Amino acid sequence: MRSASPRRAVAAGLLVAAVACVAAAQGPFRGESSRRDAAGINDESVHVDYDGRFAFVRLRYEMPGANGRFRGFRREPPWAHDYPRSDRHLMKILAEITLLKPHLDDSAILTLDDPDLHNYPVAYMSEPGFWTLTDAEAEGLRSYLTKGGFLIFDDFRQEHWYNFEQQMRRVLPRQPLVQLGADHPIFHAFFEIDPARFVSPYGGLTPSFYGVFEDGDPTKRLQVIANYNNDLGEYWEFSDTGWVPVDLSNEAYKFGVNYIVYGMTH
Amino acid sequence: MLDTLSQLLLGVRWTVLGQGDLRFAPPTGVAIAAVFAVVAVAATVITYQRAPRRLTTRDRIVLAALRTALIGLLLVCLLRPMLVLRAAVPHQNVVAVLLDDSRSMRIADLNGQPRSTYVQAQFGAADAGLRQGLAERFSVRTLRFSNAVGAAPTGGDLTFDGTNTRLAAALDQARRQLAGVPLAGLVVVSDGADTTGDAVEPALLALKAAGVPVFAIGVGRDTAEKDIQVGRVTAPRVVLAGTTLLLDAVVTAHGYAGQALTMDVLDGSTLAGSQPFTVGADGQPTTVRVRFTAGEAGPRVFTFRVTPQAGELLPENNSRDVLIDVRDRREKILYFEGEPRFEMKFLRRALTDDKQLQLVVLQRTADNKYLRLEVDDPEELVGGFPKTRDELFKYRGIVLGSIEAAAFTGDQLAMLAEFVDKRGGGLMMLGGARSFSEGGYAGTALGETLPVTLVRMTPPAEPVAVPLVVRPTRAGTGHAVSQIAATEQASAARWPELPPLTTVNSVEAVKPGATTLLSAGDGRAERPVLAFQRFGRGRSAAFTPQDSWLWQMHASISVEDQTHETFTRQLLRWLVDGVPDPVEATTAADRVDPGESIAISAEVADTSFVAANDATVTATVTGPDGVTSTAPLTWNGQRDGVYTGTAPSGAAGWYEVRVEAMRGGTLLGQSTTHVRAGPGEAEFAEATRQMAALRRLADETGGKAYTPETADALLEDVKYTGRGITAVEERELWNAPIVLLLLVGLLSAEWGYRRAVGLS
Repeated sequence: MRSASPRRAVAAGLLVAAVACVAAAQGPFRGESSRRDAAGINDESVHVDYDGRFAFVRLRYEMPGANGRFRGFRREPPWAHDYPRSDRHLMKILAEITLLKPHLDDSAILTLDDPDLHNYPVAYMSEPGFWTLTDAEAEGLRSYLTKGGFLIFDDFRQEHWYNFEQQMRRVLPRQPLVQLGADHPIFHAFFEIDPARFVSPYGGLTPSFYGVFEDGDPTKRLQVIANYNNDLGEYWEFSDTGWVPVDLSNEAYKFGVNYIVYGMTH
Repeated sequence: MLDTLSQLLLGVRWTVLGQGDLRFAPPTGVAIAAVFAVVAVAATVITYQRAPRRLTTRDRIVLAALRTALIGLLLVCLLRPMLVLRAAVPHQNVVAVLLDDSRSMRIADLNGQPRSTYVQAQFGAADAGLRQGLAERFSVRTLRFSNAVGAAPTGGDLTFDGTNTRLAAALDQARRQLAGVPLAGLVVVSDGADTTGDAVEPALLALKAAGVPVFAIGVGRDTAEKDIQVGRVTAPRVVLAGTTLLLDAVVTAHGYAGQALTMDVLDGSTLAGSQPFTVGADGQPTTVRVRFTAGEAGPRVFTFRVTPQAGELLPENNSRDVLIDVRDRREKILYFEGEPRFEMKFLRRALTDDKQLQLVVLQRTADNKYLRLEVDDPEELVGGFPKTRDELFKYRGIVLGSIEAAAFTGDQLAMLAEFVDKRGGGLMMLGGARSFSEGGYAGTALGETLPVTLVRMTPPAEPVAVPLVVRPTRAGTGHAVSQIAATEQASAARWPELPPLTTVNSVEAVKPGATTLLSAGDGRAERPVLAFQRFGRGRSAAFTPQDSWLWQMHASISVEDQTHETFTRQLLRWLVDGVPDPVEATTAADRVDPGESIAISAEVADTSFVAANDATVTATVTGPDGVTSTAPLTWNGQRDGVYTGTAPSGAAGWYEVRVEAMRGGTLLGQSTTHVRAGPGEAEFAEATRQMAALRRLADETGGKAYTPETADALLEDVKYTGRGITAVEERELWNAPIVLLLLVGLLSAEWGYRRAVGLS
């Protein structure tokens, strides 16, 4: 594989920051994100219909009996954390950095048993620590991953692991979660990334990256990547606000770009 | 019929009549007779003019004409007409008799007797029927022919076990052997045409030039009452291991019309494929398409067989062997993709388990940034898309994804066209926002090679996806690429179940000469989905969807479903099928008789696929006993880069032919093929009497064709060929039966007419 040169990486990083600022300045979300509530996730006007182009797909799950205890500060459910700004920002970065032409202002929110999910071989789930699964959803995800889908888990930490691991066992019982080393191709698919140097937005926690491989064989295709003790979406969402350092936002975008390029090529 | 009639009326057979000249030998005083005849005619005319008035003008003319004809006939007889023939002088000329000594002469279709019994009875001994008749006037040289030509002075020399009928070679050799002797003609006794596939025209032309007529006696029956014959099988000589083949075998049968039978394909003794079929009308060829997989690598003989049925005349012609070189090698295909998209991922994924295809991916992920996958070494494609022909022509297939024409230099576009045209590679363009017309290929060298019509256009800012419900066309239904299920029927049933795809390309028509295998539409407005055309030495294809991966991922596709993998593998295997190497060796036939020479041919080119006429080309042949022989191949001077030569074969078995081409101490390339030494089944392939072929031999050379029933006439016909040492023979015609018949006829007609008009 050919790697990006350091000079190109720096240039790309600067571009990321610049584009993120531009995108944010032009976006519809400036100044209103904190006021947005869960109703936004049901906005059908931004739902994408399949047309062959890449679209960001966020996975939705039910939380029976939660009574809103796990809702975020904008009153959205955990799976919708950072939506829609993180999703839109990442798509804009992808469009600027790569030759991919994704949908920019519309995306899909789908359940795991939604047939439409199979039209989008790369998907994203936030807060899997609260993830619950019906049998149909487990079957849907198993089919999706086995046929060639790629799933990114993000935004979970510490004891959330247990729920996440338990749910993954229901989906792929014979395929263990394996911690990924820095030499895995996903960290070199577009940018050269050293995952050990990444700083988690959860203060004091060290991020680590886990994966599930096809047939449980680490030499084969990665079907799932999980950002444990980490929250890339948080960086993506606030990259245009000045609340987080530009360097960290850039690094988070690099992960996002690499994940999607890997998911589209492997 | 003509001969019989001519013999009855003229006393000479029609064939003999054709060999002679008509002349008159008037005796002295014929001039006086002529004067008398003129006077008699004049008197007749005057007499009928003065006849009673009740005669009409027509009556007068008819009566005068009849009388004049009578007088004229008598005058002709007085002129002594005669047929002048050049008859062979007894015992001064040679007749060569060529006897078919092949296995097919054992077929018992002459009233239950083998065809060979006729040969033995008529030519098997010095005192045998026709041979004795010929010997009374000619010196008879008897030759036998099957795999080779040899002398057969006695019937005991005939074994009837030859595995080929080398008729063309036999005619040529007989002509050469007897070039210095007065040859009156060649007599061929056989049941049919040359079974080796050699053209008979050169031998015929030489005989015609030498003025040697061929008299052919066709032995056997023209049709078999009950017989099934597996005829021609169209098969590639070389395939990749694991390739699914869909081959057509032609079955011709008599006596089994409408019967349901099965065509089996055996790989050695293992059943590789099977296809039921219904036998067509008697004598009508039925094409049976059989599907099977070429599994194990190496030279393989696949036997296409229909189980012999009760009462069949010839069970031997129920099978046909086909030699296929199954190669265990990785065909390298370069896939150049212009943007990150799922089509590349799933295409690559579909080939994961195919060890015969290496898909080298060069994907442009950003401007001037490329991702390389499956490369052989760190340097491969490090500079992006190949910039030299040597670099590009290493690949056997090229797939262009969503990549615009502007991404290539003008020379690279020309190279891509040459890749198909001159190198003979397979090139396929996939649908995408940057391909076809939308990619600006109209008017480029590469655009010319594509099988679809392109237009100059400005691509839309936002591509519009059009749904495609894909179906095989009539041409595609039986094509190997469209076979996506275990059987042809299952495959036809599977296509309508597949989810629709989408395209963003305005490809609506294919070029003249292109073939559409898959299309989409409602029957009125069809859009090509998969089309291809031959272009120069190679093949170009267009596959217009942008998301064939939906056949893998779509919710309606089960996890176990292999449709996408099967389709993709077959598509790419077909793309590189038959793509040549710089050095390609072939043999003239896939089978020779043990001991027969192996005719070897090789096409030689350099790494840029420019034909090389200055190479040193050597064939190394390794026999079944491990003995190796080498034979030089020389440029044949007719086609650039084509070298030919022969090598001997010995014992029955497999022979490996390895051809190596060197130039200036540099290896240009090498190629290996195989040939089998052993008996073939061609003798029984067209086992009925091939009378048309024999008749052509005779007609072209001025001879005649006979059946056993009419062969007695040969003795007279060969006497009057006019060849060799001849003497003039005159035959009077005035006393022929036809003269008497005409005389009586004319007299009777005149008398009858006169009675009718009341003159007598």
